[in-house]
Amino acid sequence: MIDYIYLTVLLPLLGFLINGLLGPKIKNEKLIGIIGSSTVGISFLVVLFALIQTVGLPADQRTNVVELFTWLNVAGLNIKFAYLVDPLSLTMAMVVTGVGFLIHVYSIGYMHGDKAFWKFFAYLNLFIFAMMNLILGDNFVVLFLGWEGVGLCSYLLIGFWYEKNFEKGTVPQAAKKAFIVNRIGDFGFLLGMFLIYSTFDSLNFLDVFSKAEYFPVSEATFGLIAIFLFIGAKGKSAQIPLFVWLPDAMAGPTPVSALIHAATMVTAGVYMVARASIIFASAPAVMTVVAVIGMLTAFFAATIGLVQNDIKKVLAYSTVSQLGYMFLALGVGAFSAGIFHVMTHAFFKALLFLGAGSIIHSMHEEQNIQKYGNLKKYMPKTFITFVIAAFAISGFPGLSGFFSKDEILWYSYANGNLFFWIVGAITAVLTAFYMFRLVTLTFFGKERFNKSEKHPHESPAVMTIPLMILAFLAVVGGYIGIPEIFSGEHGNVFHNWLMPVFAAADRKMAVYGTHTHLEEIVLMVISVAAALGAIYAAYIIYTKRIEVANKTASKLKGLYTTLFNKYYVDEAYEFAVIKPIQKGSEKLLWKFFDVKIVDGIVNGAASLVDVVSSVIRKMQTGVAQFYLIIMSLGIALVLFWIILSL
Amino acid sequence: MDLSFITESLYFVKPEIAASASIILLVLLDLIFHKNKTIIPYVALAGIIITGIFVVDQFNISGFAFLSTDNPKYGMIAVDNFGAFFKLIIIISSIFVVAFSAYSDEINKITDRLGEYYALIFGMILGMLVLISASDLILIYLSMELLSLSSYVLAGFTKLRDRSSEASLKYLLYGATSTGMMLFGISILYGLTGSTNLYIISAALQTQSLNLLTLAFSIILIFAGIGYKISSAPFHFWTPDVYEGAPISITAYLSVASKAAGFALLIRFIKTTFVTFVDDNGNWQLLQVFDWESLLIIISLLTMTLGNFTALWQRNLKRMLAYSSIAHAGYLMLGLLVFSNQGLIAILIYFTIYLFMNLGAFFIVMVIANKTGSEDIDDYDGLGFKSSFLGVSLAIFLVSLTGLPPTAGFIGKLYLFIALVDAKMLTVAIIALLNTVVSLYYYIRVLKHMFLTSPTEKTEKIPLNFGQIAVIIIMLIPILLFGVYFSPVVDLAKSYITILGF
Repeated sequence: MIDYIYLTVLLPLLGFLINGLLGPKIKNEKLIGIIGSSTVGISFLVVLFALIQTVGLPADQRTNVVELFTWLNVAGLNIKFAYLVDPLSLTMAMVVTGVGFLIHVYSIGYMHGDKAFWKFFAYLNLFIFAMMNLILGDNFVVLFLGWEGVGLCSYLLIGFWYEKNFEKGTVPQAAKKAFIVNRIGDFGFLLGMFLIYSTFDSLNFLDVFSKAEYFPVSEATFGLIAIFLFIGAKGKSAQIPLFVWLPDAMAGPTPVSALIHAATMVTAGVYMVARASIIFASAPAVMTVVAVIGMLTAFFAATIGLVQNDIKKVLAYSTVSQLGYMFLALGVGAFSAGIFHVMTHAFFKALLFLGAGSIIHSMHEEQNIQKYGNLKKYMPKTFITFVIAAFAISGFPGLSGFFSKDEILWYSYANGNLFFWIVGAITAVLTAFYMFRLVTLTFFGKERFNKSEKHPHESPAVMTIPLMILAFLAVVGGYIGIPEIFSGEHGNVFHNWLMPVFAAADRKMAVYGTHTHLEEIVLMVISVAAALGAIYAAYIIYTKRIEVANKTASKLKGLYTTLFNKYYVDEAYEFAVIKPIQKGSEKLLWKFFDVKIVDGIVNGAASLVDVVSSVIRKMQTGVAQFYLIIMSLGIALVLFWIILSL
Repeated sequence: MDLSFITESLYFVKPEIAASASIILLVLLDLIFHKNKTIIPYVALAGIIITGIFVVDQFNISGFAFLSTDNPKYGMIAVDNFGAFFKLIIIISSIFVVAFSAYSDEINKITDRLGEYYALIFGMILGMLVLISASDLILIYLSMELLSLSSYVLAGFTKLRDRSSEASLKYLLYGATSTGMMLFGISILYGLTGSTNLYIISAALQTQSLNLLTLAFSIILIFAGIGYKISSAPFHFWTPDVYEGAPISITAYLSVASKAAGFALLIRFIKTTFVTFVDDNGNWQLLQVFDWESLLIIISLLTMTLGNFTALWQRNLKRMLAYSSIAHAGYLMLGLLVFSNQGLIAILIYFTIYLFMNLGAFFIVMVIANKTGSEDIDDYDGLGFKSSFLGVSLAIFLVSLTGLPPTAGFIGKLYLFIALVDAKMLTVAIIALLNTVVSLYYYIRVLKHMFLTSPTEKTEKIPLNFGQIAVIIIMLIPILLFGVYFSPVVDLAKSYITILGF
């Protein structure tokens, strides 16, 4: 099936074309939903078979290139439209098509009755198309095509309900924010790409990476390339300081938040850094930057999550925080641990968002968790799956999140230092706390909503079945990555699977830790115990001792408002970036540069063209004799010129 | 001269034989079915397809037909890949023109003269096929006259319209003058070298020392004849008047097929006669008669500038497209004036794309004119809303003509400009780029009328039948496909630049 991997790109494109062009004529929601979901479902099967086939190959033959056609062949630049099928891309593709399929199915229920039902599915399919190009592309250009494509789809889907208001602004403003912030990252990524081309004379992954290992390229060049690529990754994966768009992206329909802004697109940055691992490994200074940025993002986003009241906002900051973890892993060189967390996070975060969607749906679009309460009575299936996901993200032993998060924490100490571990562990505690604050306020305690107005109810099977499947994955998904200390001689299966992809980077960094298993177990016990304590504390505080929370909030009023207002980052941007740009644009660029200079030149050129062409036009008199005279004169002139030049 | 002289040559001229047979057949059928002529277009189509099959059959075959009696190494007709490529362009555009004519109200009004119409089209086809492979001045002249005479009549085919008769007459006057000059040039060249065969002339030019002024004089005069066919400045004046007056199907045909034949002739004439040597990088070394480069640069830039600047003012779409096709002749010459294989590749790519985008634009203008009876830009107000398929398709063709991505037109211009930049002619490239900016204005103005102006009461929905939609889609597909996936066109062009003798 490896040779047919292009189907996973083609089918979603087909789904997009069918639903996008014929959607308004089909009208039947079921049919549209089936078309949209089945294209992704079949893609999933193709990826699955390709995966089985690849696993069957010896480890050194697991990298295959499926060439479709030569796309550009201009002046030495040869770009092929080709897909790279290797352990890394297959892992990502499994997550994208698998989780993507479940979310498509869920959307049939969630979007029921929407006036642009067809458009939603067309966009979702287009997103999968772009995302698969991003993951499977065998060179930076195809990756960039997908990179820009997912950005576009993200914009379209955040702004899907473009007539509505969102917080202080409107939905289109949130969509624009996401797009513009992403563009800043994309610019960095483009610069990185140009630099790669000028350094290695190629944009093909295998080519560039093999050259990167052996070419005599200075560390400064590697550092520059890596930092540009990392800026791109920051934009897509919402890292400091470009994370501001992700919370606002929650203006889109909830399945979109689950698919794009939690499970798949936002991990594109992680994927890209992991893909270019050899380049990053060759720039140790940038690796430290990545680790520090990841750590800070994880921590600060988690603190903001503590006090938010909008259910999707909490999950959004949680996503930013978890992405920070992934970058922390990449930064300390634990690439496979980062990808492992991408996968487990996709399961439980998609589940959390879809669960949140189910709640919002039944609560008539109410998103404030202070106005929920005791929902476990009304929505048992949502409740159970949601709690499983919350336990998974909190790192409850035995669930998927435990294995991946623990691996990251361990490497942050083993490859990094104790400080990374401490901040990581504190973040894990915070995560456990805000997740169970959310769970407790939502599902336990008394109903805090008007029962005569709202009638919470369980969602239909088309929505709850995907929840259950994801819950199953959130439980067992971690078992393929059991660390060496538990699995013994087999080692970490997931790690070994990705080994060939990161081998070059590992060679380059050559970190051989001298840490003992005892250290690993001690650190693990400490972090798990603290997280469990946080879960218990959150449950007690928000069911029985709510006054503790209120008292703490009033005692630390300054801190509380700072957190509640997200460290005023949006305001700071407004003041430091947006206002100056607006002012500068208006006064300098618009009123002076545009009106006076640009318009002056353009209008001047236009009137010049005007004059010239009115003269030329007069030559076309329609009189044949005149034409013939001009022609003869032309010949005479040419002859005259030749005589002169001889 | 024995019989084998002829029989051995027949192998190389099968397409020309098929075209000649079709003329005779059409004339006969016209006499037999003088009441009901519905069969005629089908016979014409079949004739074109058979001719086309023979053309495809000629791919990768090379050789001379009708060998010269002076030097039997060379002949009057050179069959090679370069010629086959241009012949294919002619065949494809001929097929489209039959489709055009089938849907053209102008043509359908005169069914009783349908036999004549198609017989004349075949006259043009035959003329062009011979012109493309002719390597003898006499044959060049003869085929050019055959092509021209058929075109004169076709341009005035709807003779009841004043415009049409005027077009025909102007075309005739202009053609007669130019070919007259060309004939004069040919006679001088013959007098200088003692042969009419291009290859023998080339050999003579390289070995003997000749009076350069006389030689230059003859080349310029010959160029007048060719320049008139490709409507380059200052021989372009006939173009707008003729294009406007002729039936749209013929205008479209003249703007693509006739121009292709003219270009093929120009390239073959220069390459076989004056190129002495092609180096490893594909650069051509020319015989130093005068400054070839400067002359062609001036003509090329003048042609595109005149075409674009005059098009700015046109309110009649047909006339606007006429000027635009003049401008495109200017762009195409950019590929020649770098005198390299890369430039030649760029010309072949451009022609492949130009064929579809120009014919596409003309076809839609014709479909609209069928309904509204006008080509005035004001009648396009709000068309994008009333007939969205037509509007969007025309928009794509015009955007492609401008040369914007992601349409194929961009790829065509891209390769032309790459050839220029590689030849270090940055100034020329910049002037050409500025020209495309000017052209953006008049192309996009049509879009403005179609999509930004609301429909008026006059705007009506243009009904389309299945065949018309099919024709439009067939032309749209390459424009959209080659804009993204263009390596097949490039590869095709690369393998079809071989001209016999090098």
